[in-house]
Parts: sequence; structure tokens; C-alpha cells
Amino acid sequence: MKNKIILLIIAAAIPAAFTGCATNAHYVQTGDKEQIISLGQINIQDYANAANAAVKELLESGAIDKVANPPALLEISRIVNNTGQQVDTDLLTKKISIALLQSGKALTKTVDKKATGYQQEAEFMNDQKTTRMPDFTLSGKIIETVDRAGNTRRTTYSFQLSLNDTKAGVQVWEGEKEIAKQGTRSSVGF
Amino acid sequence: MKTSKVILPFFAVGILMLVGCTTVNTVENAQKSGQRAMVSDQRVITDASLNRKVAIVGVNAAMTPGGLLKAQVELENRTRSLQRFLYRFEWFDANGMQVNNIISASVPEQIEGKESKFIYSVAPNPNCRDFRVKFIEAN
Repeated sequence: MKNKIILLIIAAAIPAAFTGCATNAHYVQTGDKEQIISLGQINIQDYANAANAAVKELLESGAIDKVANPPALLEISRIVNNTGQQVDTDLLTKKISIALLQSGKALTKTVDKKATGYQQEAEFMNDQKTTRMPDFTLSGKIIETVDRAGNTRRTTYSFQLSLNDTKAGVQVWEGEKEIAKQGTRSSVGF
Repeated sequence: MKTSKVILPFFAVGILMLVGCTTVNTVENAQKSGQRAMVSDQRVITDASLNRKVAIVGVNAAMTPGGLLKAQVELENRTRSLQRFLYRFEWFDANGMQVNNIISASVPEQIEGKESKFIYSVAPNPNCRDFRVKFIEAN
């Protein structure tokens, strides 16, 4: 009888132990508590946090409000990638341009060839120049620095952004967000 | 020999307790020239443990030069050790509808022992009237 009870407990414990180890695929929210933190890589939440900080500072500064005909027209310029990995800078810049569009403070100059084609055709047909020069361009750089002490590694990603006034040729706003990650290996959860 | 065997574990525990307990000393001007516009807040505490560790001291708000609402929350670490948490700002319009916002990421933050810290955010558009901040303890 006693042996039976012990066997039953063991039989129940084995599946429970296995369930605890395996994680079935499930949908998660971006930027949640379970996010994967990679030491040698920019994670999706890093782009979101860098964009969040940039938009917050940019809107707070009021730099984008100082245009003759609001909303301002913005063109996304070059974002230099100085990291050791392949980076799609749209992960950063698209979030910023969407947020600025949603704020009603800025429009972004289109990069769609069809749209510019139609616009040029309309200009030709009406014999009228309607192209608006961008008020600002947004440029920047992503820099990676790695420090090591024994097995511990610290990777810092610096997201540097500048808002350039196209008429005055000056930088009217600059922002930098540093995201640092430290550990011996990548992990799940903040 | 027996005495040293008894003392050693206590000594080790003492060392362990000291490691990771770094608190912050601060100094600031006594006569403040700036006045914070404090707003009355409404709190829903479901994680009492986090609230005991990282307490919400106060909330103040102001308008940016561009007409956007800016909200700031003062937090205080009531423990002697570093605390990690995530926070997220949510914004609402004049009808109480949540404003769709691409930049609504949960922001990871950390606060040193006994430190007082401010977190802030700026409304995503001029129609935002109200806000809510959510806090969640990190793993």
C-alpha cells in the first residue's frame, strides 16, 4: 500500500516536472516581462525604448513646432550603423516617424516612387511647382561598445539622433539614448 | 574551534547581507524656486510587495511649449537594495478613450536603495487630457 502511494506520487511528479521545463509557443506582447535579452544583439524592445526616448524628448523640446507652415515636413536621412551586426534602421526611424505623424506635429516626406511619380506628373500637367522642401531631416548613428571583465560582458548601444533644420543648416535638436546590458549569457525576462 | 565554527556562518551571512545593499545620499537646494503642480492621484495597488519596495510619492503635470501634456511621477525605493521594474504610460482623450500610440513601450527602469527618482512622459498628441501609469516588478 505504502509503495503504491510512493509510486503514484512519483508518477504524478514526472509529468509535472516535464511541463515545467517545456514552454509551448504562445503569443506575447512586445516589451512584456518575458522579453528575451540578448547580450550581443539589439533586441526589438531596445529599438522601442530608444524611439520612445527620442520622441518624448523631441516633442518636449518644441523644436519641431518652430516652422512657418505647421505641421513640419520631415525627411528621414541616414542612420549610420556602427555596430557589428546587420541592423534595419527602419525599426528605429519608422517608430519615430509614426509617432510624429500621430502627434500632428510633423508629416514625413514620402519615399514611395509611385507617389512621387504622380506628384511630378501633376506638376508637369498644371505647369506648377508644388514640391515642398522638407523643413527638417532626421539623421543619426547607432554605436556599440563592449566591455569585458572575466566572463561578464557589458554591451552598450548608443542611439544618437539629430534633427537638422534644412533652411538654416543647423542641428536644432539632438538626443542620445544609451541601452546597456550586462551578464554572462542572454536571458529571458528583464 | 567550536566557537569559530559557530561564528563563521554568521560572518558569511553578514557579508552576503552587505553585498548589494548600496543606498543613495542626496543633496538639493533648500529654497525651491520652481513649484511643482501636483495632481491628485487615484491608485490601484495589486502588487503590495512592489508598492512597499518602490513607493509612488507624488504625481505632477505641466504643459510643454508645444501644447502637450507632460506627466511626471516621483518614486522612492524604500528598501536598501536595487529594485528593477517596468513602467508604461497610457494616454486618454477628452472622452476618456485611450489614444492609440506607437510609442507605448514598457520602459525598464531601476532604482538604487533609498533613492528617489522621477519618471516622465509626454502625451502623444495635443488631444490627450488624462494619463495612467502601470508598474510591474521585474523577474
